[in-house]
Amino acid sequence: MSDQTSQSAPKSMFARAWDSDFAYKFRRTPVAVVSALVVALLVLSAVFAPLIAPHNPFDPASLNLMNGFTAPMAANEFTGDVFWLGTDDQGRDVFSTILYGMRISLFVGFSAVLFAMVLGITLGLIAGYVGGWIETIIMRAADVQLTFPAILVAMLIFGVAKGITPIEHQDKMAIWVLILAIGLSDWVQFARVVRGATLVEKDKEYVQAARMIGRGKGIIMLRHILPNVLSPVLVIATISLALAIIAEATLSFLGVGAPPTQPSLGTLIRIGQGFLFSGEWWIILFPSITLLSLALSVNLLGDWLRDALNPRLQ
Amino acid sequence: MKRALSILAVASALGGPVLAEEFKWAGTTDPQTMDPHAVNSAPVLGFLNNVYEGLVRRGKDMSIEPALATSWEPIGNGEGWRFILREGVTFHDGSSFDAEDVLFSYQRASNEVSDTRSWFSPVSDVKVVDAYTVDILTKAPNPIFPDSIANWMMVDKGWAEANEAALPDKENGNYATLNANGTGAFMVSEREPGLRTELVPHTGWWGEVEHNITRAEFTPVQNPATAVAALLSGDVDMINPVPIQDAERLAGSGDVQVIRGIEARVIMLGMAQESDVLKYGDDEGKPNPFKDARVRAAVSHAVNVPAILKTIMRGNAEPASQLVSPAMRGYSNANADRPAFDQAKAKALLAEAGYPDGFSFGLKCPNNRYLNDEAVCQAVTSMLAQVGMMAQLDAMPVQNYWPELRADNYDMYLLGWSPGTFDAEHPIRFLASTPNKEKKLGSWNFAGYSNARIDALLPMIQSEIDATKRQAMLDEAAQIMQDETAYVPMYVQPLVWGTGQNISLTQRPDNFFILRWVSVN
Amino acid sequence: MLTFVVRRVFQSALVLLIVGLVAFSMFRFVGDPIDNMLGQERTDADIARLRTELGLDQPFPVQYVKFLKGAAEGNFGVSYRQGRPVSTILVERAPATLELAAVSGFFAITIGIGLGVFTAIRRDGFMANMIMSVSLIGVSLPTFLIGILLIYLFAVELGWLPSFGRGDVVHIGWWSTGFLTASGLKALILPAITLGLYQMTLIMRLVRSEMLEVLRQDYIRFARARGLKERSVNFRHALKNTLVPVITVTGLQLGSIIAFAIITETVFQWPGVGLLFINAIQFVDIPVMAAYLMLISVMFVGINLIVDLLYFAIDPRLRVDQKGAK
Repeated sequence: MSDQTSQSAPKSMFARAWDSDFAYKFRRTPVAVVSALVVALLVLSAVFAPLIAPHNPFDPASLNLMNGFTAPMAANEFTGDVFWLGTDDQGRDVFSTILYGMRISLFVGFSAVLFAMVLGITLGLIAGYVGGWIETIIMRAADVQLTFPAILVAMLIFGVAKGITPIEHQDKMAIWVLILAIGLSDWVQFARVVRGATLVEKDKEYVQAARMIGRGKGIIMLRHILPNVLSPVLVIATISLALAIIAEATLSFLGVGAPPTQPSLGTLIRIGQGFLFSGEWWIILFPSITLLSLALSVNLLGDWLRDALNPRLQ
Repeated sequence: MKRALSILAVASALGGPVLAEEFKWAGTTDPQTMDPHAVNSAPVLGFLNNVYEGLVRRGKDMSIEPALATSWEPIGNGEGWRFILREGVTFHDGSSFDAEDVLFSYQRASNEVSDTRSWFSPVSDVKVVDAYTVDILTKAPNPIFPDSIANWMMVDKGWAEANEAALPDKENGNYATLNANGTGAFMVSEREPGLRTELVPHTGWWGEVEHNITRAEFTPVQNPATAVAALLSGDVDMINPVPIQDAERLAGSGDVQVIRGIEARVIMLGMAQESDVLKYGDDEGKPNPFKDARVRAAVSHAVNVPAILKTIMRGNAEPASQLVSPAMRGYSNANADRPAFDQAKAKALLAEAGYPDGFSFGLKCPNNRYLNDEAVCQAVTSMLAQVGMMAQLDAMPVQNYWPELRADNYDMYLLGWSPGTFDAEHPIRFLASTPNKEKKLGSWNFAGYSNARIDALLPMIQSEIDATKRQAMLDEAAQIMQDETAYVPMYVQPLVWGTGQNISLTQRPDNFFILRWVSVN
Repeated sequence: MLTFVVRRVFQSALVLLIVGLVAFSMFRFVGDPIDNMLGQERTDADIARLRTELGLDQPFPVQYVKFLKGAAEGNFGVSYRQGRPVSTILVERAPATLELAAVSGFFAITIGIGLGVFTAIRRDGFMANMIMSVSLIGVSLPTFLIGILLIYLFAVELGWLPSFGRGDVVHIGWWSTGFLTASGLKALILPAITLGLYQMTLIMRLVRSEMLEVLRQDYIRFARARGLKERSVNFRHALKNTLVPVITVTGLQLGSIIAFAIITETVFQWPGVGLLFINAIQFVDIPVMAAYLMLISVMFVGINLIVDLLYFAIDPRLRVDQKGAK
């Protein structure tokens, strides 16, 4: 179960991937294929939103308030306009807003998880492998971090960022602040699990062997220990991606999130939540379904990936 | 205004076997103190109006009527007012009410540490004439003084002193923060701050009992959807407010009734007029266009208020043309029309002012202070964009909002104003006077609007006894503010309450919930 | 072992100090309490006077030291909002949150581990796949939305459960409990599910993933080969050996149950410390915010300590390692 990479022949990466058990298993698992298709479809439609969407909901000058609250496929009583999925309270086309909102959600989600993962794995490996006072500092920092609920971290970062950015840039800042806030509140999970696993792995024979032949600490950590701690990291990362998208929604529920003029999927749900009892079900339903399909597919794909990538389960 | 009661209004179908006379209601904000002089805010004063009473009170139509004073009259040539007190009134603890309590309550409420102090700035002295007569002397003739003290509540001198609560203590709290001893129709029987407050009728109350409540319980519920769910499921009998968008559907559901009215609060846009430069947006640092009255007029023509009222407010609000609503005293009927929605005119005005291509600026907005405030600001943003004024919207919770306004961090902002005195003089004093710390004028005039004639009119309005002359001056002030577009008043915020089908009550425009007008059928 | 514990306790105290410092430096960004404490007709002089009285005009290191001195004596100051000692308020509110957290934690652990083991043993079974997929729906929606949907379904439409609050409580000394009344128990159901759902799914997925790995290990095969009963293999041997990462994550999740309670408590108007904290943010009630954060820190640090000690107890290799490092 040790070093697979060193044994493989110098074939092209792609050919190797296509021929692999991995790809074969993928083709044979309907759930994985469907999930991957859904994720791909959603990601692509988010990326190409400006080409697909009938309207640009982020352009305030193009909105007509009188179009507000139009039901799906129905003509607006004042303007006569028809929208596939209806409009929200501002007269924004829900379909277009979902596409644009998904861009923001996906961007925030991917960036935040990437940030958390890189930070968490690095610190976790160092803490677990190096140990000593460095470990103490990292793990105590993790304690401090965990003490603060994500909302608080976000509020803190929002406030600090507001204080230090020139006021004319503040509107562009919100997204980065969200990424930073969600990422910072999530790295500890990675760090703790990686450290825990590293503690177990580092005394195993293969690591001792690598050490004995004189490999450097960095190489050992990256080439030998890291691949063996990735299984729990993948579990966390998949859930984290969906969670990051959802965290954005929660933050917006508490009043710290993407600005309402450029709503993310989560902000749309937050806005739609206000119309749950008033009969405008489409404002919350369609963004929720989109979020659900996205998060669900990512999670299902992650589930399958984890089983498939794990050499011990083959 | 009140919706017709259904004939089938028996007990709420969804509610459990609740005792008929128990009444539970929910609002967004818990009154933070039971001390009537510690905090001058609507949730506190509104709640305590059920527990404490003043010399005068407001009736169902907001008119001033006798309460602990049975009558009052001006002294001499405007030196003050004489109040004849009601005899035989007892506090909840059984002690009796007399002139000493009035004097004590004056000293308590006008003390430096009391938030209600500003009500007494026209007062020079309070004199006890006999046990049931009190003279309140004013520095200048003050025709509206009795109107301005409806929320000045009487506290028992003996009780306050015995419990070491002779003065309110907002910072550290004292006995009066958690306990109440008023003369009102209800007494506080249990108080868990932030969670629930239980009231029971005051058996020794002097007035005629209209309600049939044996026990009432107030619970603060912040999340509007939770409150609506609680009403629909019968867990509470009344909620305030009902989210505007839910009003129609709730009213049509048959399980609950929706009671709508017009609140005293006018929602308006303010624009920086002191600052020389714009502070936000792509034109940050460039000269401030809002100093030009034509640009401000363009804003008022560019905002499509009827559309906001039709969609976001769902037909529940009335347009506003001035800083007070038509229900207030001193409203200027001569200036009742607000500028028409006219994009061409707005563009023409902008071009005339030298901005044919518009400009970019920052709009600050609260997102949890007024009904649908954020949605309104979003709509305003898109309406202004359509005539070339590109607003960069920054919506935030109110606790961050006021500091931003105080620090002048805005180019344009949203403000709601409800005059505490229910008189048109109030917004002139706070919103339109040139800011002056010493004279305590213009303390909410963040925009820095300044007009010498308005400043000159204010003291004259304050001391004019002749109603016609006074109204003429108020009309003039309203006219000036309209001509110069000091603010862009948009609409009067609606009041929307929801109750079970078996509840009847009276809604007052100040959004105070008066328990003694409630009956459970 | 003893030196380890002593060192950890010392480190924990340091963590608390830092938390306090971070918390304090953050409050200035949350907003300004003054506007909530003074009415519409306040003057600039009132603002200045109140600021001085509250000590808000002092530099924040001074405020922090003052807070620490008080906290050391168990005095967290007086709530700006309620005008009562913060410690009294916290004691009043803590039982609600702790009972909710206990119930949802119990729900998350028992069902999470149970379903995790089940889905691992029946790896490709129909039921196991169903459970895996359905459980994901619960974590693919924001908590507040799940809460509101549950209220809509069970309180409004069906009328089975209360829409908000804690029901009737019984006071036992200073503790108030909802466990002893029918309405209190009914009121617990929806918030506990809302709060525990995410943790349950996470625990379930983790247990399953770890179980699958352990079941492949040689000693399990040997155990099977030796003819041990399937149940004994699964639970005595396999489950026990999945526990290291499970305890880590579960421990952390128990802590975040308390943190996540903020949202659940807001949606359900549950009278616990989370709701108190959200209200405190809204009113910039600095003493309450500071005390809440300190309380949460103490708890988290405590949980971390216990998790580390359990690590020690469960995985013998760590003990050897720790001794070797000395």
